[in-house]
Amino acid sequence: MLILAQATTEGTNEIAQLFVQGLALGSIYALLAMGFVIIFKATQVLSFANGSLAATGAFFVAVFATVWDIPARWMPDAPVWVSWSLAVLLGLIAAFGLGMLVERIFIRPMIGEELFAVAIVTLGVDIVLRAITNDFIGTNSRPLGDPWGIQVLDLGWVRIAYTEIVQLLVTAVLVIGVAWFFRTRTGTAMRATAFDQEAARAQGINVGRIFSISWGIGAMLAAVAGVFLSLYPRRAAGLDQQTAFLAFAAFPAVVLGGLDSVIGAVVGGMIIGLAQAYSALLPWDFLGTGFGGAVPYIVMMIVLLVKPYGLFGTEEIRRV
Amino acid sequence: MKIKSKWLAILMVLGLVLAACGGDGETTTTASEGGDTTTTEAMVDDTTTTEAAMVDPTVDVGVDLEAGTIQVGLLSDLTGPFGPLVSAIVAGQNAYWASVNASGGIHGLMVELNTVDTVYDVTAHVQFYNELKDKVVAFGHSTGSPHTVAINADLQADGILAIPLTWYSGWSDPAINSNLLPHGAPYCIEAMNLMEYVSGLTGADAPTVAIASIPGDYGLDSAAGATMAAEALGLEVVYDGVGKVIPNDETTYDEVAAGIAGSGADMVFLTATPGAFSAVYGRAIAGGFEAKWTGASPSWNPAFVAEDSPIREAIVRDMITSSYYQTWDGDSDGAAQVRDLMTAAGAPPTDFYGEGFIEAQILHAALEQAYMNGDMTQAGVLAAAKSLESVSFNGLGPEERYSGEPNDIVQRAQWITMPSLTSETGTEILEENYISDTAAAFEFTGACYVLS
Amino acid sequence: MLYTSYEADQAMLNTTTKRVAAFLFVMFLLAIPFFQTGTIGSGDNPTGSLPGPDFLAQTDWLKLLATVMIFAIGALGLNILTGLAGQVSLGHAFFMGLGAYVAAVMGMPGGALWGLGLPIWIWLPMAGIIPALVGILIAPTAVRVRGLYLAIVTLGLVFIGEYLWRNLDFITGGSQSGRSHPPFELRLWKEETPLIDFQSDGTWFGVFNVSEEAKTYLFLLVITLFFVVVAKNIQRTRVGRAFMSIRDRDIAAEIMGVNEYRYKTLAFAISSFFAGVSGALLASFVGRSIPEQWILFLSVQMIAIILIGGAGTVSGTLLGAAFVTLLPRLIRDATQWMQGVVETGDSFLSSIFDVVISTGPGDFGLINTSPGVAPGLGIDQLNLVIYGLLIIGFLIFEPLGLYGIWLKVRNYWKGWPFTY
Repeated sequence: MLILAQATTEGTNEIAQLFVQGLALGSIYALLAMGFVIIFKATQVLSFANGSLAATGAFFVAVFATVWDIPARWMPDAPVWVSWSLAVLLGLIAAFGLGMLVERIFIRPMIGEELFAVAIVTLGVDIVLRAITNDFIGTNSRPLGDPWGIQVLDLGWVRIAYTEIVQLLVTAVLVIGVAWFFRTRTGTAMRATAFDQEAARAQGINVGRIFSISWGIGAMLAAVAGVFLSLYPRRAAGLDQQTAFLAFAAFPAVVLGGLDSVIGAVVGGMIIGLAQAYSALLPWDFLGTGFGGAVPYIVMMIVLLVKPYGLFGTEEIRRV
Repeated sequence: MKIKSKWLAILMVLGLVLAACGGDGETTTTASEGGDTTTTEAMVDDTTTTEAAMVDPTVDVGVDLEAGTIQVGLLSDLTGPFGPLVSAIVAGQNAYWASVNASGGIHGLMVELNTVDTVYDVTAHVQFYNELKDKVVAFGHSTGSPHTVAINADLQADGILAIPLTWYSGWSDPAINSNLLPHGAPYCIEAMNLMEYVSGLTGADAPTVAIASIPGDYGLDSAAGATMAAEALGLEVVYDGVGKVIPNDETTYDEVAAGIAGSGADMVFLTATPGAFSAVYGRAIAGGFEAKWTGASPSWNPAFVAEDSPIREAIVRDMITSSYYQTWDGDSDGAAQVRDLMTAAGAPPTDFYGEGFIEAQILHAALEQAYMNGDMTQAGVLAAAKSLESVSFNGLGPEERYSGEPNDIVQRAQWITMPSLTSETGTEILEENYISDTAAAFEFTGACYVLS
Repeated sequence: MLYTSYEADQAMLNTTTKRVAAFLFVMFLLAIPFFQTGTIGSGDNPTGSLPGPDFLAQTDWLKLLATVMIFAIGALGLNILTGLAGQVSLGHAFFMGLGAYVAAVMGMPGGALWGLGLPIWIWLPMAGIIPALVGILIAPTAVRVRGLYLAIVTLGLVFIGEYLWRNLDFITGGSQSGRSHPPFELRLWKEETPLIDFQSDGTWFGVFNVSEEAKTYLFLLVITLFFVVVAKNIQRTRVGRAFMSIRDRDIAAEIMGVNEYRYKTLAFAISSFFAGVSGALLASFVGRSIPEQWILFLSVQMIAIILIGGAGTVSGTLLGAAFVTLLPRLIRDATQWMQGVVETGDSFLSSIFDVVISTGPGDFGLINTSPGVAPGLGIDQLNLVIYGLLIIGFLIFEPLGLYGIWLKVRNYWKGWPFTY
């Protein structure tokens, strides 16, 4: 047993292993950051509610996949990964609906108000949603019932959990999907809305619908991140009440990339994820514990000193 | 069954109240047995004051003879990191007192619990203490060590009794526990028991050990005990992550998991919150690492072996857990009482109710004694509590002794349990009333980890 | 309103009504501890008291009011930065923590943790000065970024602070362990017995019997009044007008000759000073702090106070502090009252409340009074939900906050019976 353990850990290359860890963490940040960016791009609103949207989305998935056991109970012969994926899909649709609902109830009345005021409204939404969701999650963790469990792919020089492989693939697909979406008719309308709401309306664009859709997509991306945050190996026992807080670490990724850049969100997410992972290599003891948790913010502050609108963000033009 | 008439006082003087209330009880549970047999030696010795109790006891705050009630405060973390544990403990307290009240309360006085949710926050804890101190006669529990430390000076100034719901070893130190009645093996001694027991299971001749914990009294007290035990048992500590696991900080989970897996230890001692424990455990075994795992009792949560939990098989193979009292399946009368009352209350089975019953029985003994002394003021209850020689729990927990030198009376016995896929509550008992040689030989002089 | 001079227009209390009202209000606040029987008079059994609602003079309410005042000081600082200068900060909790630890190091005697054992007249001002200096250090970053970027930068400050407090365990006592803080007591230097001791009951001027809580309350009241006057003065003078011009249009302000960089830095410094003092008072008042308490939620509470009260106004901030601090207590009391009504039985009210309250398993209701057993929101969650909804509600419906509601009410009666 002892020899086995040493063999496996010596076998992996630390640099490569941390790279994989960093990418896995970074892809979660990227998903969350894309959610922020889509909402910001379309509505100019900085959403503080995405953390609780992530937790609520993951909770929907837990309900469909394990509590109600839908759709597995109607298709007992299907392989687990098929029925589970369908359950996740149902959860994501619910999250999409929740995002639209939040926009319709809380954000729509704030159109035209100061951006800061709207941001604080989303902070209020976050508090409300989190309190309710946490009450539903309860005090024990909620397993999501994913088909991969604790299986790990061992390549010798690096080990990666099946869940993390799925996670990287899903992130890649979603990044491409979001990039493609901005080229579709709705996506173009969204860009037009972001540029000038009144002009967009004059062109016959239903601005309200664009707002709804952007919040829906934002909530859905957050939910995907929430699901992966609640799976092995990030959370071995499932979704718990702390998940909503983890999303705050995605803010530096958004700011790093620039609030209105999808590419920025992905790059920012990966940079933050890798920086956090590699911070484990820093040899200085005086840094103490938990330095990794502060790394995203330190990186963010340094970058902002040089580029106040992030790496890919559009500079605000200041006119008198 | 709320008695609030003046008749009660008259009935009490006549000494008829026990019969009267017992007869009036709506529910006919068999709980009276457990409730009343809580023995206190001091009470038996103190026959001279028994007659005094036939007249009304002196009261100030929290006891209302007119309404026939005793108010007890519970400072509980219901929704914070230890929410699952403490909610069940509160449910246990409620069930216990309901049964006591149903069989006549404390000489006709009904005990009412005032539960507040401190969310494991020091400021909220102190605020709730201030709110309740003018309302309750004593505190049935106070969750968390820094939180209890924060109110300890006030407890002493106000002369109020509290039962700490934390197994910090400092509570057995008479220098700070003048207003507290600790119970259960402290984290530090529990760690010694677990280290000795689990090191015997590894199968290695000279097992190596990795020790890690969260910061704070809970993690550090436990880790201090584990480190002392490693020294006493001659185990080599190949990874030291004491205080390095920070709840909700993902990178510290990665770091400690990598450190544990990289050390190749035969056994891991990890004291953390359940969320942090499962996260570190999951990541470590993702690296193909296999060892025996253990940690202080609150690190465990039955959700680990829930039906859809990905780690359920692995954790049953790897983990040894512990308990300060007999778990749900226990064979003692005390454990049977827990099972009966909780089942009757419609509560789902979990191991944590027992702690609520233990706390409640300690307070019950103190209140009983105070009534016998004829002084049910806050100070009177405190004095009565501090005069208790010992409290026993019908086998639910080890007998607690409260008079003598700290080293003689500190609790060293505990239950060793392991996760189980078949048991209702997710654990099964391995050892009862277990005291390791290391713990028995340990000279207790004060807290293993000093809170400054 | 007709003002005959510029001074009169800019005066702190610019009408006689305001002056009288303010005087009466301060007198009322001073009188609160003496509403309870036995607080005035000499001899063994004094029975005197001032007329007034005596529940306010009970110890738990005095402590609640003290908390209101401590939060008010912190929120006044944030109000200067966010309400006046228009710079959104989520980093207030960081400066509060910093102030608390400066106070602890200065005020507590050394031992296992760092400490100098200095008296309160040193540690309390220093608890403001050091955070102010740190605020000036951070200002260059903060001034460079604007708007929402600034909100996130200051958010980062809280998380970096959390990491610092956890690791500087020789100052903070370490994560989840925490440390004790200097008590309120006035010493000239390090002598044995303090001049004024807030830890024990006593008698002032032979007739005023003050409990420990009453002393602390009065002490905090004096400090709060001082900060209220300072905040009001900043608002009505040159500095405040410069802040507001930056808030309204920064470029226009610069063209008018307001040095944007200098004034933003100044706003950060002043706000951090208030925050630091507030944090030090809070920690000393509670007696103990842990690193985990200076978190984002505290910042959000501060923002909630100024938004609910009415951003940009001193009296609004005070209203907001009272509202936010007392709200949880009121919610809990209301729930208990409803539960009592439900338990006693058959009245019309109890059937209504029965729907709202859930007391046991199987009883469905919105509010759960037996946690862990019954369904529904626990009181703490309920608090949070109401809290969030209030923030949202005020921003959507009444951006001027409680102050705005007050203005409406006042103007209604001013114009009565006409609508304007």
